[in-house]
Amino acid sequence: MKAVCFLLLLGAAVQAVKLSVDSVKYSIISAKGEPTTKSLSPTEKSSSEVVTIFQDQTLKLSFQVVDKVTGKGVQPEQAFLRFYDEQSGEEGIQPVRVTSSGKAKFDLSLAKPPASLPPTSSAPLKVTLLLGASSYAPAKLELFNLHIPASHPAPTHPEEAKFHILPELAHTFRPDPKLPARAVSALFAGLVLVVPWTILLGLWFSISPRVPRLFSPNILPFTASLGAFEFLLYRYWVDLKLGDVLTYGAMLGDLVIKNNYVAPTPVDKYTMNLEQERRVWGIERSDRDMNSTFRY
Amino acid sequence: MAPKSSSSFTFTKPSSQSASGSSNTVSTTASSSISALLSAYTNQTTPRLKFIDAFLVFLVSSGVLQFVYCVLVTNFPFNAFLAGFSSTVGQFVLTASLRQQVNPENKVEFKEVSHERAFADFVLGSIVLHFFVYNFLG
Repeated sequence: MKAVCFLLLLGAAVQAVKLSVDSVKYSIISAKGEPTTKSLSPTEKSSSEVVTIFQDQTLKLSFQVVDKVTGKGVQPEQAFLRFYDEQSGEEGIQPVRVTSSGKAKFDLSLAKPPASLPPTSSAPLKVTLLLGASSYAPAKLELFNLHIPASHPAPTHPEEAKFHILPELAHTFRPDPKLPARAVSALFAGLVLVVPWTILLGLWFSISPRVPRLFSPNILPFTASLGAFEFLLYRYWVDLKLGDVLTYGAMLGDLVIKNNYVAPTPVDKYTMNLEQERRVWGIERSDRDMNSTFRY
Repeated sequence: MAPKSSSSFTFTKPSSQSASGSSNTVSTTASSSISALLSAYTNQTTPRLKFIDAFLVFLVSSGVLQFVYCVLVTNFPFNAFLAGFSSTVGQFVLTASLRQQVNPENKVEFKEVSHERAFADFVLGSIVLHFFVYNFLG
């Protein structure tokens, strides 16, 4: 409870320590030499005072920063004049030097405008005095609305065009390929599937090869392993990824090698069967012929 | 010395009958050559080689039909055509190599390669070829 009361008192004390300005005057001096002077009573609210100066005129502003309560001159750590164009949003901040007694002066000559003056247009600049001191609450006082001649437009940079917004990229894609008529596709699909197989099966039936050991315990696992490899490749086409195929292929190959699913019959027996086959089919060659150059 | 007029130099005018006769002779000669070739092939080729040759004919016909479709109709999708056509060509090469190695008449040339080894090479090459074909098929 005591802490709350102390904080409230502290807040009240801070509120009481405020800055104010006294003897605010501005003069407009023209080349003709007839100055016009006017006093101001700036407040925190928007000012209705309008000041207009022309190219050959000088604006002189003077004021004194005082303690609102005691009336003594105060030298704030920060004193700025803010020039703000509400229409364009341009803003310029001009520091003002304040003496130890709180007095300050500012001259604005359009013959030599300060760098802090923002680009101007036909709209007025709102001039605000900003004060900041360590022992006081900050003060923001609206002085007047300043009309000055419009500034020239900024020179165009020679490479300004490079920073323009570029047109959106429009990709032109190749038109979709024309698909043939379904009947034509079906016809050729049927031809490719049927005709070669018809030729193959017809020729094989006419040859009638004998494969007595096709389902023997030696050969059937070998044939099954070949079928397993082909099925693995089919699954690769449909579903599996490369890593899966290589893994399964390695496992299957390892299984085939370990279980020796190769070499259907011993070599000698097989060679003897070949000789028998040659004799059966009447292909009897002399050694001279067998040593001749190879033929298909 | 004047040459003797003998029957060694005989000039006859060409007639239309002899021209058609020569073309008939050519076609007859061609057909008899083909029939002789077929007869020799049928009689002198082992069933195993005929078995392999039938597979080669199958591959050729399959490849030709795919190529004709690509030329006459469309090559879309092109990767599928390449996969199919190259599978027939690759398989033809492998099968022709197998035929060459198992032909008894080439025993001297391939005396270090047994038929089992030739078939194993054929099988392994076919599996690798099929792997690349499936990879490209899309």
